[in-house]
Formats: sequence, structure tokens, C-alpha cells
Amino acid sequence: MGNSLARQPWEACLIEPRKDRAVEAFARRTQGVPNPTVGYFASVPWLARATCELHPRYGLLMHLDPMVADLVGMAVTQENSCRFCYTAVRAMMWSQGIDTARIDRIEEELARGDLPERTLACVLFGRAQSRSGPGAAHGACEALRRAGVSGDELKEIAYAVAVTDFLNRVHTIPAIPTRPFERMPEQWLMRLLRPLVGRLMRRRMRMGTPPSTPAVTAPPYHDLVGAYAGSPIGAVLQRTLDAMWASTILSRRCKLLMLAVIARGLSCESCAVRLGPALAGEGLAPDAVERILTHLDAAELDPTERLLVPFARETIWYEPQRIQRQARALREKLPEPAFVEAIGVAGLGNGLCRMAAILGCAG
Amino acid sequence: MPGLVVAASLLVAALLAVALALERQRSARLRAHLDANARELEHLQQACSRLAPEGVVQRLIEASGDDAVEPERKVATAMFIDVVGYTALSERLEPAQLARVLNGYLQRMSDVIHEHRGHVSTFLGDGILAYFGALRPNPWQCDDAVSAALAMREAVTHYNAELARDQLPPLGIGIGIHRGPGLAGLIGSRERSEFAFVGPTVNIAARVQGLTRVHRVDILVTAPVREEIDARFVVDAMPAEAVKGIAEPIATWAVRARAAMPATARDREPTAS
Repeated sequence: MGNSLARQPWEACLIEPRKDRAVEAFARRTQGVPNPTVGYFASVPWLARATCELHPRYGLLMHLDPMVADLVGMAVTQENSCRFCYTAVRAMMWSQGIDTARIDRIEEELARGDLPERTLACVLFGRAQSRSGPGAAHGACEALRRAGVSGDELKEIAYAVAVTDFLNRVHTIPAIPTRPFERMPEQWLMRLLRPLVGRLMRRRMRMGTPPSTPAVTAPPYHDLVGAYAGSPIGAVLQRTLDAMWASTILSRRCKLLMLAVIARGLSCESCAVRLGPALAGEGLAPDAVERILTHLDAAELDPTERLLVPFARETIWYEPQRIQRQARALREKLPEPAFVEAIGVAGLGNGLCRMAAILGCAG
Repeated sequence: MPGLVVAASLLVAALLAVALALERQRSARLRAHLDANARELEHLQQACSRLAPEGVVQRLIEASGDDAVEPERKVATAMFIDVVGYTALSERLEPAQLARVLNGYLQRMSDVIHEHRGHVSTFLGDGILAYFGALRPNPWQCDDAVSAALAMREAVTHYNAELARDQLPPLGIGIGIHRGPGLAGLIGSRERSEFAFVGPTVNIAARVQGLTRVHRVDILVTAPVREEIDARFVVDAMPAEAVKGIAEPIATWAVRARAAMPATARDREPTAS
């Protein structure tokens, strides 16, 4: 499966990278090394930051074994056929001193399910969540509990799945180039710098510590952030959500509608309940919201919403080639910042729905 | 004495080096074998994807037991498509010519169905059975199915233009669409099974397709579809007709077109930069 992912057809990139010192410095601070792709998202600072700081390995996990989180992330990435994330994970492992043959073996073990029972349950959970969405959450949750996974670990697994779903979409939809990561082990300079890069990354890859004050945010996702109150995950979720709402590239109403479409497509009742009052607050009557969500179009929508409401639906169950084709058509109709922010909102919406569904049973 | 120790050490080192080289060779052979098997598996998976939806193939590969893809209760939309006048066409054309025309037609229809998030369950000669929302939850399945039907009408028009250039007769289609509950999953024997959606929904879609000839229209939908679709689909009510195997006469609506969204004050095209 892994090898086939390396040959996954990939469109030419739909966005241009920008030089942004603040965003680049943030990536370096968070991950220890320069991030070669963060510039692609620089037109939407909250998204650029989110692609760096939401990664579970950088001080966000307190209970879950980081190796299990990595395996769950890899399984979800394979499920979502994200060639970028697949090559990025391989490059990250290589940078940390794991040779390519060993990485291949890890992948084979993952594909064969040749893993300890508990780890396997976590990986299967990740696959089920990506494949079936929140509908399968209850059964998947029960399977994890039977395997002896604690409630705190379960929340962190749900987070790892959600963030991988987010990152997969954010990199697949605009077809972020995979070559720099694929070529890494062949470049003499990278081979030379490998021990240093690995060391710098390992310094940032640490277990998290409880925050001094719990993160608090405004609705609609305040309860989701609250569920991670005792974890550093709560703080990064809060920062990402607050920055997304504060960004004025797309209107708040447009973002809410995109999130509501994704919630409808994934049958996420709890998300629909969260988003209903927020949409009403934007002046949309319940019957107008229902009309929009039922047919993905309505006279009440402005031209940008009319493009992004049906696009949000396409990000739920996607095939990379198809979504990249659709994204190309969308890119021609939208300014780049709006296009990039739309990808970020759609990615986050998909992640939040999967997280919300599982927290119900995590307790 | 020290010379003997050195010689023995060298001998041991040489033996270890030989053993290591042999082991490496063996590992390389095994890896090459494994890679070849992985490629073969991938090739098989691609071949299987032609016979069943990809998600089903993947689940079958990963599953351990025979009950890997247990049928699930779902509400889905079934679509039957048939070529109008196929028998006359088959009498007029050489078998090779007929196969070429039919393959071109089936390919175009399958592409349209896939493009509208449906999946082709099976080809029944010149007929096609497709489902929307049977594989994955799809709250927009009726809009998708009716949009697909309109796109198929357009695709057939384009295909007919190509056929006319080759002095071949045009094709006509009849499409029946119905939505309802059923059982979705792998159905069949131990030796051969296929992903299917079974239940009265499929039978009704087939009967509705038959009614396209009675009403002399190309796309017919039933009441459950009519209730779900966007009001912008222009439809005309047809008289209810009795059909074989169904107790009550079936009310249907002919789909004419999809109207454009009326312009509003909010309409101002966003511009790319």
C-alpha cells in the first residue's frame, strides 16, 4: 500500500509559496528545523501556524505513546491517500536516523497488522474513523476500550486522527509538491546534515505537560476545546479556532456554512447542534440553513459561498486526483488567500467532526 | 603465539564478513521477492477494482473472515439505465461494430455516474444498474442521481454526434430513479459475489425505467426522489401506472432540466488574483 502511495498521481501545485519571516520563524521554533512547505500557506497565517503546531509530536501528547501516534497518523494518511504526508512522514523518520529499509519494514508491519494488540486497535480505530467517519465512532471506541486504552489515551488518539485528517486535506487539495521530501535521502547535503536535523527535531519532539490554565474559547467548538482542558491540545485547538474566526479573508458565515456542510455529510449530529445557533447568529433563518445544507445552494448565498458550500462537500470523501481537479477549477475563480483559507477551513471541519464524534464516548 | 592469535582473529573476522555478506545477499533476495509480491498484490487490487468498488476490495483484502463485508441496512438511490431500441440496433450492426458502440456508450455513462459520486453496480447487457449512497453515507444522493441523469442525457447527445460521423445510428436512453431502504453489501455465493443493494427499491427503479417507454420520456423519478430533490429541477407529473410485481400504481415525474439559480443582490462574481 505504501509503495503505491509513492506513485499516487499528483497534480502540479495550485498555490505559490511566499516568503514570510514570521511564519518561517514560528515553524522553526515549533519544529526545531525549517519547514519547507509552510510558505505555501503564508497568505493565511492561522493555517500556516496550524500546520506546524497542531502536530501531536511537538509537545501535545501526555498519555499516548508517540510511536503509536505516528503509526495511527501513517494509517490515516494511507487511508486518505495523501502522497505528501506519506513522504513527509518517511522523511521525518529518515531524518531521525531510521534507514529506508527499516521504514519499509515498519510500513509492511502496519499493512499486515503485525503489531501488538493495543497498537493494532489504535491503528484500526484510525482507519475506521477516516473510512467510515463518525458513524463508526461508537463501535471503534468500544474496541479501543476492550484493548485496554484509557479515556485520556482515547482523546489523544482521536486528536491524532483528526489532525492527520486535517493535514492530509490541507496538503492534498492544493497538491503541495512531494519531490523535496522524496529526494531527501538521495541528496548528499541532507545525508550530511541528517544527524544534526534529527537532533534538532528530537529536541522539539517531547511529551506534553499540563497547562497552568485551561484553554477557553467561544462557541461553536468551546466544548471540544473544553474536553482537552487538562492537556496542551486544548491550548493549540483554542489558538487555531480563535485565529480562524478572527481571519477576515472569508466571512464567518461562509466558514460556518462550510463546517455545517461537512457535519451534514459526515452525519455528525453534535457538530450540527453546535453550528445551528452560530448560523442563526449570522442572520440565517433555520429554514434557509436547511435549504442550503439539503441542496448545497440557495438564493441566500453570496458568490463565494456558492462556490465553497459545494466544495466543502467534496472534501469529505475524496480521491486525490479528483479533488485536485476540482480545486484547480475553484482556484481559477477565487483569489489565492480565499482559496487557501477555504482549504484550511475544510480540513479543520473534517478533523473537528471526527474528534467531536469520539469525545462523546471518551468521557 | 601472538601471530597465531592474529591469524585466528583474521580468520574469524573473514568468516564473519563472509557470513554477513551472505546474509545481506539473502536479505536482498527476500526484499526483491517481497517487492515483487507487493507489486503483484497492487496489480491484483487494481484489477479487482474493476469488478467491485475500491472500498469493498480494500475491506476484503484486510478482512480475515468470510463475513468481511456484512450487508448493512441503508437508504440509497437506485438508478436503472437502458438503451432504447437496442434490439433493433443489434440486428442492424455487425457484432464487432455493436460491441464498439456499446463499449463507448457504457464508458461514457460510467464516467458520468462516477463524476456524480455514484457507482456502477453491474452492466446488464446494454443496461446499467447504479447506486448513489449505497457505499458511503450521502445525504445529497437524490440531487446527485438526478444531476447524473441530466448529464447522461447530454453525454448521449455528444456520443450520438460522434456516431453520426461514422454513419452509425443514434442511441436513446431511458432512466428510472427510485430511493428507498435496502441491504447493501456483498451478495452472492461462496464462489462468486458482488457488491449489491438488494430490496424492493431496486425492483421499483427497474420498473420505473420501463415506464419511460410508456410515457415517452427519458428520465423518470418516483415520489421519494421528487420530495428530496432541489426545487430547481424542472419536473412534470406523469399519470400513475400499474407495473408488474407492485400492488399500487406508481406515480412518476419526468425530469426536464435544472433551472439556473435566480440572480440576487448578493450576486457579484468573486475574482481570482
